[in-house]
Amino acid sequence: MLLNRRTSGDRWRIRPDGPGKVTGQMPYLTDMSAPGMLHGAVLRSPYPHARIVSISTEKALALTGVRAVLTYADVPGLNRFGIAHPDHPVFCEDRTRFIGDAVAAAAADSIALATEALKLIEVEYEVLPVVDDPEAALAEGAPQLHEQGNVQHRNDYRHGDLEAGFAACAHIVEEIYQTPRQMHTYMETEGGLFIPEENGRLTVYSPTQHGFMDRMQLARILDRPETDIRIVSSPIGGSFGGKDELNVQPYGALLALATGRPVKLHHSRWESVRAGLKRHPMKITMKTGTDAEGKLLAHRVRIVSDAGPYSTLSAEVLNFAVEHVLGPYRFGAAEVTSVCAFTNNGMSGEFRGFGGNQAVFAMEGQLDRLAEKLGMDPWRLREINLRKPEDPGPLGQPISRTDGVRQVWEALGDSRLWRERESLKAISAEASAPPGLPVPPWIKIGYGAAFVMHGAGLGVGIPDPAGGRLRLAKDGKIEAVFGYEEFGQGLIASLEQMLIEQYGFAADDLRIVIGDSDVVPDSGSSTASRATSMMWQSLRRLRAPFKGKLRAEAARILGRPAESLKPLNGGVRDIESGELLLTYEELANQAEEEIAAETSFFYPTSPVERVGSHFMYSYSSVAVKVEVNTLTGRVRLLDQYHAVAAGPVVNPQGYLGQIEGGSGMALGFTITEDAVMDKGIYLTRNLDTYLIPTIAELKGTFEVEPIEKLPEGDEYGPRGIGELGSVGLAPAIAQAIFDAAGKRVAKLPVDPQLLQERISFD
Amino acid sequence: MIDQTWAERAAGSKLECEVNGKAVSAEITPSTRLLSVIREDLGLTGTKRSCEIGRCGACMVLVDGKPVNSCLTMAYQCSGKKITTIEGLAGEEMLHPVQQSFLEEGGYQCGYCTPGMIISVAAMLAENPKPSMEQIEEHMSGNLCRCTGYGGILRSIERAIERGGQSDDRG
Ligand code: FES
Ligand code: FES
Repeated sequence: MLLNRRTSGDRWRIRPDGPGKVTGQMPYLTDMSAPGMLHGAVLRSPYPHARIVSISTEKALALTGVRAVLTYADVPGLNRFGIAHPDHPVFCEDRTRFIGDAVAAAAADSIALATEALKLIEVEYEVLPVVDDPEAALAEGAPQLHEQGNVQHRNDYRHGDLEAGFAACAHIVEEIYQTPRQMHTYMETEGGLFIPEENGRLTVYSPTQHGFMDRMQLARILDRPETDIRIVSSPIGGSFGGKDELNVQPYGALLALATGRPVKLHHSRWESVRAGLKRHPMKITMKTGTDAEGKLLAHRVRIVSDAGPYSTLSAEVLNFAVEHVLGPYRFGAAEVTSVCAFTNNGMSGEFRGFGGNQAVFAMEGQLDRLAEKLGMDPWRLREINLRKPEDPGPLGQPISRTDGVRQVWEALGDSRLWRERESLKAISAEASAPPGLPVPPWIKIGYGAAFVMHGAGLGVGIPDPAGGRLRLAKDGKIEAVFGYEEFGQGLIASLEQMLIEQYGFAADDLRIVIGDSDVVPDSGSSTASRATSMMWQSLRRLRAPFKGKLRAEAARILGRPAESLKPLNGGVRDIESGELLLTYEELANQAEEEIAAETSFFYPTSPVERVGSHFMYSYSSVAVKVEVNTLTGRVRLLDQYHAVAAGPVVNPQGYLGQIEGGSGMALGFTITEDAVMDKGIYLTRNLDTYLIPTIAELKGTFEVEPIEKLPEGDEYGPRGIGELGSVGLAPAIAQAIFDAAGKRVAKLPVDPQLLQERISFD
Repeated sequence: MIDQTWAERAAGSKLECEVNGKAVSAEITPSTRLLSVIREDLGLTGTKRSCEIGRCGACMVLVDGKPVNSCLTMAYQCSGKKITTIEGLAGEEMLHPVQQSFLEEGGYQCGYCTPGMIISVAAMLAENPKPSMEQIEEHMSGNLCRCTGYGGILRSIERAIERGGQSDDRG
C-alpha cells in the first residue's frame, strides 16, 4: 500500500515541533543572543596550501571594541579536532592545507568590528604547491601533506579466484564512475552562542548531531573536564551529516572563555561553503563480468576518494563504500581495493548516504551495462544475482536475517510506474510510432530502476552506544529523555508517536527532552539512520520496568492490587472499566520516590572483526521516468516510485518526508550539484552557482511503498530510513537517460552537453 | 535606479515603519538591509538568514503585501511601509490558513525555510487564490527547501488552495 496522509489515517499526526516552526516562534540556536554578547569571526587561509611564516595580532587587538584575538598559541589543550582521527588544527601553527583552514579568530563588539579585526591580523605566508587531485596526491614526488604521507586510509577486500572468474565470463563491462563534491546545503548555516557561566562552566548552544562527542572534543581542546561544559544542540536547521563534526564550536568556546563574555558566531553562506564538509568526490573503476546466462562471476573495483586536508570520518566513509560496491549481489569472485587521499581541496566528510551514494551509482551502472550486453531486462538481471535471505552480508559477515531484497525487487515489478513501462514496451514493439500525443523529436522519455541495500548503524569496531530514560517528573509529565538531536527528520514526533501507540499515553502526558548534555544520557549519535531504530529498541526495553513501577506505586497509593491497574492516557486506569483512578500529576505528588527507568545497550553489530561491516540493513528499489531534451541536454524527472523494506513505519509523515527529501537531494547530486574547485579554490561560493533542486524540478509524481513485514521472530524492529532515499535515484536516472537517449552517464552531475544532439530537419 | 532623495535622507538616519501592525523605528545607515533590522534590532528571528543574495527565500517578508527577500531590501526603502513577518501572519486566535495547511500536511522538516515559504505561499494566494501548477512553480522557485523535496510543501499548498482562505475546515 502506498504511503500518504489518506492511507495513514489517524497515524498521520501533527508534529509536536510544528506550531513553533510554522509561526516562526521556535528559536534556532543561531537565532539566540545574550546581553553583552560579542561577535566572533574566524580568519581563514587565503591559500589552499601555504607555510605560515609569522602571525601578528597586535594591530587587530589595538582596535577599539576588539576584545580578543586568538591563534594556536592561545589553545590550552589539544589544538586538534576530528571525530575519529583528530588531525584537524583548531588554528594552524605553521602550515595551512586548505582554503578553509583557520589561522586566527577575533571577538568584538559588533560583527563589523570583528571583520575589521581580521583584516588587521598580519599573516605572512609562503605559498606551497597545491595538491588538487587524489591520484596526483598518491603519485611519486607529490608534496606530502601530513607526516603519515598522503594516504588517509586504505581498505581492500577479496574473495574467490578473480582471474579464473574473468576467464570464465561471457560478458565483461568496464567503466570509470565519478561523483561530485556535493554540498549539504542545510538552510541554516553553522553557528551558535557560547556563554561562560558565573559558576565557571561553559554553555554551548550550537547544532550538532552528537552533543556528547562535541563535549568530549571541546574538553580536549579547552583542557577542562567534560562536566564543565554543557552542550545544547537542538533544534537544528538541517544537517544531513554536515554538522556532526565540530565547526564553529572551538572558536566560540575559546573566544567566550578568553573574554568572559557571551560570543556569537554565525557563518555566512560563503564561509559555510569554504570551511564546511562536502560529500567525498570518488572515482570508482569497475570491471564486472557474467556468464552467458547473466550470473555474476567476477567483480573488480578500485575506489579513489578525495579526503581533502584532514581526516574527520573519511576512513569510515571509505569502508562503507567498500561494503556497498558489492551491494545486494552475489559474485563468484570479487576484489575491492580502495584508497582515500589527502589533498588541498575542500574538506570531505560525513554526508547522508555515507559513501553508499557513490558506490551504488557505480554498482548499479554495471548491472545496467551488463544487461544491455546480455540483451536482458536489467531488472531480471538483478533477480538472477540477488542475495538469498540466509546469505551472508556483502563482506561475508553474518547479518540480521531478512528478505528485504526480494520484497523490494517484487514490489517494483508490480508498481504502477514499472507496469507503465512494460505496457509501453509491448506497444512500441508492435507499432512503429509510440502512442499518445505527438511529441517533438528532441523530447525523449525513458525508464530506469536501481536497487539499494544500505547498512544501518556505524558498523563493527566503532563504539555505537544507545539508550534512553523515562521518568515521571514532579509536575506529572512523563519525560522521555534521549541523547538524540532534532535536525528536521521528525525525531521528536517519532518518539511521541511511539509512546502514544506502544504505551497508550496521550500527547499531553508527555514531555520530550533531547539535545542537552546536562540532562540527557549518551544515546550515541543521531547519524547512520540509527536514532529511530535505537529509540524503538529502548522503548521496548523500558516498557515493562517503567509501566511496572507506575503501576506498583499507583497500587500502593490507591490500596488496590497492581493487576487491576493500567497506566494509560491521562493516568492510571482501571484495567477493566478504563476509569481514570489516579492522574499522573497525583501519582507524581504522592510517589515515595521518583519513578524512572533507564536502559543502555549497544547498536547490534555483526560478530566479525572487519571494521565497518554492518549487521542491519534497509532495502529499497527505485523506479523513475525521465524526459531528456536533446536540444538543451536537460533532464526532467517526471515520476518516481520507491519501495522501502525497513520494518514497521514508526511515523508515516516522517517516513514519507525522509524518502521524498532524500530523493530530492539525490536529484541534485545527479543533475546539478557540484561545489566546483579549481586548484584548491572554490569557484562555487553561494546558492546562485550551487544549484539545489527547486519546486520546479521536484513537482513530478512521487510514490512510496513501505514494506513493513520482517522475518518471524525479528527483534530489531524499524531499520533506519534517513539515508536510504538519497541513494538509489542517481543510478535509476542514469539508466532512464540511457533508455531515452542511448547515452551512458558515468560522471555526475550529468553534463547536458553529453545529451545534446544535432537535429537534422531533412 | 537609486532613489537619491531617500538615500540622502536615510544616511545615518531613522527608519520609521510599521512591522506586524506596530509602529517601529530603528537607527539605520544607507547600507542597512531590512533583514538585519528585523532580526537584530527588532529581534524577530522567525525571518531567517541563509544566502543573503536573494536566492533562497528564507528571509522573505511582506512589504505592503508584496513578498520580498529582506536580505536584498535596503532598510531605507521601507520608510512608511507596512511590513509583515512570519510572526505577524497569524490572527489573534487562529493560525493563518497557509500556516494551518503546512502544519497538517507536514510541509516542513527542519523548518528553517518554512517562514519564508509560508510568507511566499500566502502572498501568492492573496493575489491568485487558485494558481495553476505553472503559476505555483513560477512563484515558488525562489524559495529553496533542502529537507522536504517539496512533497509536503506541494501538498500544503494544495490544501491551502482548497481551504480558500479559511483556517478551520469550512474551506
Ligand atoms: S537569505 Fe535572503 S534570499 Fe536567501
Ligand atoms: S524544512 Fe528544512 S529547509 Fe525546508
